[in-house]
Amino acid sequence: MTCDDFQLQLTAFSLGELAEDERQRARDHVAACDECASRMLRDRQLTALTRASAVPAPAATRAAVLAAVRAEAGTGGAPAPRPARRARRRHWVALAAAMLAAAAVVAAALLVVPAPDPGSPLAAAWSSYHARGKDGLGTPSPKEAERLFAVLGPDSRPPDLAGYGLRQDGWEARDLAGHVAAVAEYRDHEGGRLSLMRWRGELPAVARAPDGSGLKAYRWGRHTSYWWRADGVVWCMVGTIDQGKLYDIAEHLGGES
Amino acid sequence: MDLEGFEAATVPHMNALYDAAVRLAGDQASAQDLTQETYLRALRSFATFEPGSNCRAWLLRIQYNLFCTQYRRGRRMPLVWLDEGEPDPALDLPSEEPGPEEQTVRELDREAVRRAIARLPEHFRMAVTLVDINGLTCAEAATVMSVPRGTILSRLHRARRRLEAMLLPELGRVQADDL
Repeated sequence: MTCDDFQLQLTAFSLGELAEDERQRARDHVAACDECASRMLRDRQLTALTRASAVPAPAATRAAVLAAVRAEAGTGGAPAPRPARRARRRHWVALAAAMLAAAAVVAAALLVVPAPDPGSPLAAAWSSYHARGKDGLGTPSPKEAERLFAVLGPDSRPPDLAGYGLRQDGWEARDLAGHVAAVAEYRDHEGGRLSLMRWRGELPAVARAPDGSGLKAYRWGRHTSYWWRADGVVWCMVGTIDQGKLYDIAEHLGGES
Repeated sequence: MDLEGFEAATVPHMNALYDAAVRLAGDQASAQDLTQETYLRALRSFATFEPGSNCRAWLLRIQYNLFCTQYRRGRRMPLVWLDEGEPDPALDLPSEEPGPEEQTVRELDREAVRRAIARLPEHFRMAVTLVDINGLTCAEAATVMSVPRGTILSRLHRARRRLEAMLLPELGRVQADDL
């Protein structure tokens, strides 16, 4: 492959849209050509910057669209305003104090709910948890890791939970109801499992706390999930480990994110 | 009408729809109108949505068709479209502990990136919006724009080279280890 050939195929190469034999030739060329390696790096920088220039919908627009949809559907419900980040943090602190004070409060916060809509991220997250990861995960390919980083930034990397007695058991990129998600698996010494999923988007409607603060917990059998959203990233934590520890981790990650 | 199911499937994609609408329509008021009309049309035809398929791509296709048939005529992309009105706090970057991506974007000035994208021809801009910004595959973007996949790849390639030329001075200031 010549430099001209590589330049023509650079975009397809970076998007993973080349056939395997072409991809291998491109890899071989980049490994041997500093100039084209620099071109590839500039292309990655450019796409990361382009993605980061996304314009989120203002709260007023979201409210207007939802109100129009509900009026069209005949329900007419007024949408709740999006909470401020600071308010979410206060909610975390208040709830942490309450839940740490009494196990009964923890139990009260865990809701047993019917199966969610099959097309929702909530259903996708639970399906993903049950279908994959029981035997641990591998590591993402460089392309997957790059894509995760472009979407999630530093949050794409699995947090270190060794302080909670959990060892990391692999991570990967996964599609969750149309979202590129970073999924990490952890195990404790008793065989308990924890799966952490993060993607950029909105919390599923049924995973929002009643006051709109974005924290909610669900329990199905021995599995519990915690949901919250920070800086545009949805966090979903599902596990079978000790409930108190599970909440501590949610509080730790949610408080820092 | 399964409103809850509709909202669960579509609301997570509203940022993507609005982003594409701003880049297509060129001002925030039109973008809100286009986003709202897209959601209303999607609600009316939600029964045709195939569960398990890419809901974002489905919505973007509805929006792009709507734009082409009702919004495009007489519109021109203003070069200062992001400067109008009061600044939206949601557009601000987090101020604490910025990661490498945020630091890089600060150095480059995100407005410069947005303006560069806004200067692209519409078909190039839409390909960048669908694939590079909103994460569709080339095949999905091809379905949205009703063109062959190879056309999307070609438009993306040419768009990226134009963006690279426009942003080259800024890219040169970014350290390789920052990304």
